[in-house]
Order: sequence, then structure tokens, then C-alpha cells
Amino acid sequence: MEQDEESVDDEFEDFEDDEEAIRDVVVPGEVLTEDVKNFLPGRGTILNKEKNKIISLNIGLKQIKKNYINVIPLRGFYTPRPGDKVMALVVDKNPVKYKCDINAKDFGQLKPKNTIKSGRTRGFRGGGPPQDDVNTEKFDIGDILVAKILSADRLNKPELTTVGKYLGKKTGGIIISIDPPKIPRVIGRNGSMIKMLKNLTKCNIFVTQNGRVWLKGENIAHERLLIESINKISSEAHTVGLTDRMQEYIINEKKKRGIE
Amino acid sequence: MPLIIKDEYPETLFRKDGKRLDGRDVNELRPIKMEVGVIKNADGSAYLEWGNNKIFAAVYGPREVHPHHLAKPDRGILRVFYRMATYSVFDRKRPAPGRREKEISMIISDCIEPLLFLELYPGTSFEIFIEVMDADGGTRCASTTVAALALADAGIPMKSLVSSIAVGKIDGKIVVDLSGIEDKAGNADLPIAITWYNEELSLLQFDGDMNLDELNDFLDIAKNALKDIHQIQLDALKSKYVKLQEETNKSKGKNEKKGDE
Repeated sequence: MEQDEESVDDEFEDFEDDEEAIRDVVVPGEVLTEDVKNFLPGRGTILNKEKNKIISLNIGLKQIKKNYINVIPLRGFYTPRPGDKVMALVVDKNPVKYKCDINAKDFGQLKPKNTIKSGRTRGFRGGGPPQDDVNTEKFDIGDILVAKILSADRLNKPELTTVGKYLGKKTGGIIISIDPPKIPRVIGRNGSMIKMLKNLTKCNIFVTQNGRVWLKGENIAHERLLIESINKISSEAHTVGLTDRMQEYIINEKKKRGIE
Repeated sequence: MPLIIKDEYPETLFRKDGKRLDGRDVNELRPIKMEVGVIKNADGSAYLEWGNNKIFAAVYGPREVHPHHLAKPDRGILRVFYRMATYSVFDRKRPAPGRREKEISMIISDCIEPLLFLELYPGTSFEIFIEVMDADGGTRCASTTVAALALADAGIPMKSLVSSIAVGKIDGKIVVDLSGIEDKAGNADLPIAITWYNEELSLLQFDGDMNLDELNDFLDIAKNALKDIHQIQLDALKSKYVKLQEETNKSKGKNEKKGDE
């Protein structure tokens, strides 16, 4: 799987708009506006009972988009949504399904019919019955998979698939976990941050929405620098001009540590 | 240092100059210090020093419920575990959870539950662990305050914070924020918690004797004190982020100036 692993995700647009403006940090219960005629409560906000105030539900950054007021969370847990790419750890298996830890409140379910190797069709008109056991990929407990979420809601366990581009088993490399709401910052506007990290540290990076980052570099020095950089990004996610600052930081650190 | 007094209370709880035994005015709070993000392994955590009280709170969730039969199919549950350390009081506290701990766990849970959107997380549980390291009166109020802070730090959506304080009557005078000795030797004690979303009372307990007419005075005094506590909570939550924002802005300004030169 040595492809150019570019994780392009259109959904990561939250952090990026007007990055230069300083945003207010708000906390739960804080009144965002009392002007309910011109503004509507967006993500992470709620109207109070008298419907004359918009208040925040999360600790996060206040953002005004058109006439919606949103709060971009700074802390939180991962909620699976259909279409998300996630890094999953196989924790249990039986003949019917694999149980995967996807850093959410429920374990993800991976059924063998969703692990069919690409390039082969599952049965065809006039053909025999589908031979799932021949075509399906086999995994073991402890394997790390990159999977896509097929279905998820608040009642049922999320269902995963490993059929698709960049999906499947990961071998080698290091996986680190960061706060899921800070993942958009690691990617940056149109992938600017992740491109910069790749170029400067010569590492392969794969970022998924459940807060896990896979990375593999030429040597341990580069990987260490990258891990420290990602931790720095996650702790400074709410500040402005982060990409430039990170670039400076990495170049300085490289000089200091004497790595190319 | 806890006061070492064994069933012997002073005759009067006011000094000659009209202040309380620890030198406070009737409307004065004990010094309060709050901090968030103190426990690395927890999803959210907070630490509180309120006078001589020292309390940690850690939040986990949403996660699976154990034992499984407690899970509700239509909504999540909130569980609170209030515990006092054996060394937190003068006499050794027996470590097994007793009647008092179960009661306080329950009232804290009931106090915070209306603020959470538990119906969005069916079959799961949110768990708050509160450890009282040092106790000197008003731990149930302090625990409620710190639990709300830890929940907000965990990023769990909630309508607002909760603040809590005890108001009481000692030697016939209404005072706020009773300390341990005032709690034991005073006339009355009234813990109050308020949810800032709609400003509703979420906890109201009472012990001792007082006049029913005095209740409104108690509530007015409590509300003023609660506003101060709420402000400290907000500062504790924000300071971590705002400080960093200001620092980066400063360094950015410097760089720009350098570039101009």
C-alpha cells in the first residue's frame, strides 16, 4: 500500500474559514447573541426557553457563518457518521463479523461481505452463488484497518467496510491519537498543513476523523519530530496563523537536532 | 490544616471585631482556586481548592454501561461517584461508600442531569468520579461545582454550568459559605445549586432551624455569591485557551515588526 496517501476530505471546512480573525473562546451556557431576529442557532448552540437568546453548548470557538452562529468545539468525543474514514483496531472476531475499536461509544462491526477484495465481482447473472469465503480478506485480532463507515446512527452499532480506495489493512508505521475535534487543524485549509508536514519531515501521514493519525517516515528522528509537531498543533489548535508558525518550528527543530 | 476540634465547639462563632472565626465577613467567600485538565487519562477533569477543601473530579463517557442491566434503551445515564479519602477528615473515614456518600452522589447526579442531552446517547453512561482529598465543610456544594467544570472540559454538550454554595445561619446571623465548624455548630445550613440556563434552582437542601420568612433572604444572598463562583468557573475554563491565544498574537506581532524593519 505505498500509494500517495492523500486524505482529501471536504467536510473539514470548519476551522479554516477566515483563519486570520481571532475568535472568541466560549463555554457552555454563555450567551452568544440576544439578536434572534438576524441570527439562527447553528451547530453547538441552542435557543433558551424564552427564545430570546442563543447560548453555547460546548467549550469552543464562536463562528458566524451567514446568519448562523456556530460553536466549533475544542474538546469532545468522536461520533461516527456515514462516509467517515476511521482507523480501526480489530479487537474480536467470529465467523459472522469482526469487532473493531473505532474510538467511539460503540464498537464498529465489520462483516465479511464488506471486506471483499476489489477488482472481483460478487456473483453475476448466470454465474454460481457468490463465493464470499474465497474473495473476502481475512484479518486477525490486533490488526489495524483503515475503514469507511457505511451506516451509523445513535441506536445501532456502526457498520464498516474495507472496500474502496486507500482502505484496508495497515502494516508498519506508528499510530498516535489526538482529540477528534482537532483533526481539521492537522489537515489545514485545503490540506496545506498536512502537505507542509509531509514535505518537511519526509513522512507518510494518513489522518482519519476518529482522531487517529498513522505515520511512517524514513527514520525515527523524523517520526519523532512529526509526533511532537502534531501534539503541538493539537494543543494550539485555537490560535491564528498556525501553519506558518509550525513551519518555522519544524525548520528550527531540524537545525537544532541536526536532521535533514 | 484542618481544625482539630472534637465535639467541643466554641461558645460564639464570631470574633470580637464582628468577623467570623476565620476572619471573613458574613458575605465573604473562602478563597477559591479552580483548574481544568488535571488528569491525563480522563476525558475531562478539574481540580478545586475551596478554603480547605481539595477536590478532584474526572469525567468519562459516553461509554458502555457496567453492569449492563443499568443501561436504558432510550437514553443515556449519568452516574456520579462521590468518595471521601480516608485521610480527608480528622477521624479516619471508613473507605466503604456509606449512606452519606450515596446520598451526595445521587443529589449531584440529579442536579446536573437536566443540563445534559442524555436522550442523544441511548445505552451509554457518563461517569463522574469525585474524590475529596481534604474536607472542611461544604463538600457537596464544592463537588457539584467541580463536577460541572469537569463535564465542560470533557466537551460533553451541556446547556450551562452549575454553581453551588451553602448559605446558613450562625449565632442568629445569615452567612454565606459555611466552613466545617460553622456547619456543625451553627443554627441552620442550606445548600443551593443553580443552573445558569434559565437560572433555576437545581438543589435545595435544608438542615437546622430558621424562620420561613428568612428563606428569601437566604436565596438573595446565595445568588450574589453564586455569580462570583460562576465567574471563577468561566475564567478557569477559558484561561487555558485565552492565554495561548494572546501569547501567539504577541509573538506574531513581533515577527511582523521584524519583517517591517
